[in-house]
Amino acid sequence: MSDAILQTNGLSKVFTSGKGKKVKKVEAVKGVDLEVKPGEIFGFLGPNGAGKSTTLNMLTTLSTPTSGKAMVAGFDLLKHPQRVREQIGYVSQAGGADTFANAYENLLLQARLYGISKPEASKKAKELVERFQMMEFADREARTYSGGQKRRLELALGIVHQPKLVFLDEPTTGLDPQSRAYFWEEIKRLKEDGMTIFLTTHYLEEADNLCDRVAIIDHGTIVAVGTQLELKRQIGAESIIVEFKGEKDTESAKVLFGSLQFVQKIIAQENKLYLYVQNGEGLIAEVLRMLDKEKIAIQTIGLSRPSLDDVFLQKTGRSLREGKQ
Amino acid sequence: MKDIYLMFMRHLKKSLRQPIWLILGLSQPILYLILYMPLLKNTGVGAASATGEIVKMFVPGMLVIMGMGALFAGFSFVDEIRQGIIARWLVTPTGRVGLILSLVLNQILTLFTQSCILLVIALFLGLNVPFMGIVLTMILILLIGVTMSSFSYAISLSVKDEGVLASITNTVYLPIMLLSGIMLPISLAPNWMKNMALFNPFYYVVEASRSLFAGDYSNMMVVKGFAIMMGFTLLAVWLAVRALNKMTA
Repeated sequence: MSDAILQTNGLSKVFTSGKGKKVKKVEAVKGVDLEVKPGEIFGFLGPNGAGKSTTLNMLTTLSTPTSGKAMVAGFDLLKHPQRVREQIGYVSQAGGADTFANAYENLLLQARLYGISKPEASKKAKELVERFQMMEFADREARTYSGGQKRRLELALGIVHQPKLVFLDEPTTGLDPQSRAYFWEEIKRLKEDGMTIFLTTHYLEEADNLCDRVAIIDHGTIVAVGTQLELKRQIGAESIIVEFKGEKDTESAKVLFGSLQFVQKIIAQENKLYLYVQNGEGLIAEVLRMLDKEKIAIQTIGLSRPSLDDVFLQKTGRSLREGKQ
Repeated sequence: MKDIYLMFMRHLKKSLRQPIWLILGLSQPILYLILYMPLLKNTGVGAASATGEIVKMFVPGMLVIMGMGALFAGFSFVDEIRQGIIARWLVTPTGRVGLILSLVLNQILTLFTQSCILLVIALFLGLNVPFMGIVLTMILILLIGVTMSSFSYAISLSVKDEGVLASITNTVYLPIMLLSGIMLPISLAPNWMKNMALFNPFYYVVEASRSLFAGDYSNMMVVKGFAIMMGFTLLAVWLAVRALNKMTA
């Protein structure tokens, strides 16, 4: 037995649309195996449409898996979804604060739905209002809140019953940098309180700064799992990024460098070529010399330590940072 | 049960903060009552064309219209789906059936209040019906409310879009309303229309409430009206719960 707080085996979801002969099947999630350890902040990374939300919906009992198994917070997701619901907290991307009620009313109802007694629930509501610094606006209806204020209430709603495991779906999407920093601190505090956090994000900074471990999902499949450091080590020490004027130049440069020994891996993306190497500084001159010899003009050249985006690029062939899909 | 109560109180609070809905639902039948019903007096419709008889014939239809108005319950619900409120509740241990029932109950309370107001106005306009007839009709109207609001929630959950909901609702609402003899009894209609009305469940309900208003409790139409409406009530609630179970955020 593992001590994981969340474990999935071959978790899959197939959406069927259409009728009769025109049945269309879309495999949104294809056999996902995940393991989340108690007390960690686990980041679930992927571009839109990769299967992040579908996976999250299954893990939070909102949608039934087509196949596969999962243990969530100590209970079998398929056999005892009701027990799972009692154990987990969930903050959706949409948020879900009741806009026609104030913060106290929102928190009170949420606590009561988890079976907390009325006096206990109002005590809890007051505590959370203070903890998330909502005193100033907690008496107003939530429809008057700013994005950051509403988000604070929604995070509070997700943890009102002190769940062991909290799912946060894109917790900081659409927030200004200041609010984002505030949320990172609050999420770290939840961890200090002993909660396990499972969050999805497409912000690399978020995954880098906040998460203990990350999994990258693409086209419904997990393509990488590990600590950020482990993942970065997998792809080499540094990358030389050369930007060309056109795709044609990029392609010819790719052929030029592709066969060289010191290049561990090479990826071309639009006008940019990524060369993954051990000793970038020493090789820049060499790269420039070779390009000059072949008369391939460049726009820019740069050196970077591998980021999570490089990991992403290697594993999926796309960049999260530039991907606007 | 406690969950139903907690949820219901929340819906009630929300309704009370937007009393506009109560008034909007009432405005149409009241306008018909005041600006349309008087026309009937001179058309020779209704048993003796006496004002009392016309009110007796016309008011049941207006009550049914209000009951069918519960079909529009989905609009604020779609908004709650989009805001993630429903998904948030679904992840709590709250029961699915209770969630739907709490919403339906709130609609029913609104409908009951509206019906009472309409009946009081009708009394001033000369309505004179046995109390038992009113009580039974009210039960029938509330069953319509349960059916229509549940259908509305079921549709909202599968389309999740006000525009689509509006076009479905409007497409269904008008023909059903016209073919049930809400304004004037179907007995005035040509044969082909009478035959079509036989397929409209609300035709039976309107006829049943007119019989009840007339004090004719043992009429077959009353039995049919209740039987059909109870069947639809169960079907609609079941569909709504099923749609809720299938909903994904």
